[in-house]
Amino acid sequence: MFKLSRKTIINFVLIACAVVLISIFSPFFKNSAQKTFNPHLSLISLLKRECTGIIFYHRNMVEFDRLKNDAENLRRNLFDLREVGQENIRLKNLLGFKQKSPLRLIPARVIARSPDSWSSSVIIDKGRYNGVRPGMVAINNLGLVGRVIESSENNSKILLINDPSQGISSIVQRSRQEGLVSGSLGANLIMRYLPPEAQISAGDIIITSELSQVYPKGLLVGKVINIGKEFSGLSRYAVVKPAVELSSIEEVFVIVP
Amino acid sequence: MKNWLLILFTLIALATLQLIWPASLRFFNANPDLLLIFAVSLVFYFNFKIALIAGILAGLLKDAFLPSTLAINTASFAVWSYLTFRLSSQISTENNYVRLVIILIIALLNNAVIGMQSLSSGSFIPAGIFLRNLIIPSVYTTALSPLVFKLTKKISG
Repeated sequence: MFKLSRKTIINFVLIACAVVLISIFSPFFKNSAQKTFNPHLSLISLLKRECTGIIFYHRNMVEFDRLKNDAENLRRNLFDLREVGQENIRLKNLLGFKQKSPLRLIPARVIARSPDSWSSSVIIDKGRYNGVRPGMVAINNLGLVGRVIESSENNSKILLINDPSQGISSIVQRSRQEGLVSGSLGANLIMRYLPPEAQISAGDIIITSELSQVYPKGLLVGKVINIGKEFSGLSRYAVVKPAVELSSIEEVFVIVP
Repeated sequence: MKNWLLILFTLIALATLQLIWPASLRFFNANPDLLLIFAVSLVFYFNFKIALIAGILAGLLKDAFLPSTLAINTASFAVWSYLTFRLSSQISTENNYVRLVIILIIALLNNAVIGMQSLSSGSFIPAGIFLRNLIIPSVYTTALSPLVFKLTKKISG
């Protein structure tokens, strides 16, 4: 059906190569595109948020009551824990432990999501101007979210932990068994390279390992929900439910190292 | 000039819509590729040069918001525009059903190309999720294409 002359093919290949080369070697376009979209994306996400709040008024009211009760309970627990914390500080000082500095966080709001289904990323409204740099880690109050891969002046791109190109060196909190958690674009993550005799079971908590060069140690990744054997039979894998609901994430904190 | 302004405005509007696509309208975590529909539909309503340049712009715009550094959509959108142009000179693409079939095939091919590129870069994607990402977004894209066709027709005057 298609009769392509050599000249047409060569012309087309040249144009395609030029386009690919230009787009690869000029991050300028990416930055300016993101800069152009930033103001109206922020405005639209704000409007979307307000509209959702009005539409789901009743659901929000019930949720508010529930959270109010939870906050009361947590306040009581916090009071008890404060006592334990102060005792801990006293004992640490006695033992001469170096006090670990608390994490410095930059709060940010998600303004856009990945435009296709083959990657899992979000764009946040904070960028280099606010101190966000590529390589920084993003969390929220529930656990690990991902890491910053690009940052322009006023926004940054975060690769979420369920992206298949992610690999997070992690451990099972209970048994300290190591493994590599990677995304699969689905709702769950997969912890791979577990030896057949690995001490792991459903319900175990997975946290980041100190072997990770990117993520700080001890960040909550998720909970094991299933364990299986790799096709080769040489190792096992665990299906991990992320602690964070990645498909509906709205706010994140970027950790400043 | 007026055409170009309208095309650019539509590109920005569709890209914005695709970026903020509501979670409640996502089926199995899939959202439609509005930029792809627009790039292909331009071939049906405008001359080839305009369609090709706008297709490349649509691809660049999509790639700008993806984590991948390879501008795969820029190249693939240009290829789909060219192939659709060639096909429309061989068969009649006046019928809307024919256009829907073309969009479905292109969406499947585009998803297959991006999926293969993702796999070849070492990413681990289970077969079930690969098939889901191949089929559901393509069908979703096809289902929404009549709306984008109407919009493109309006722009073309």
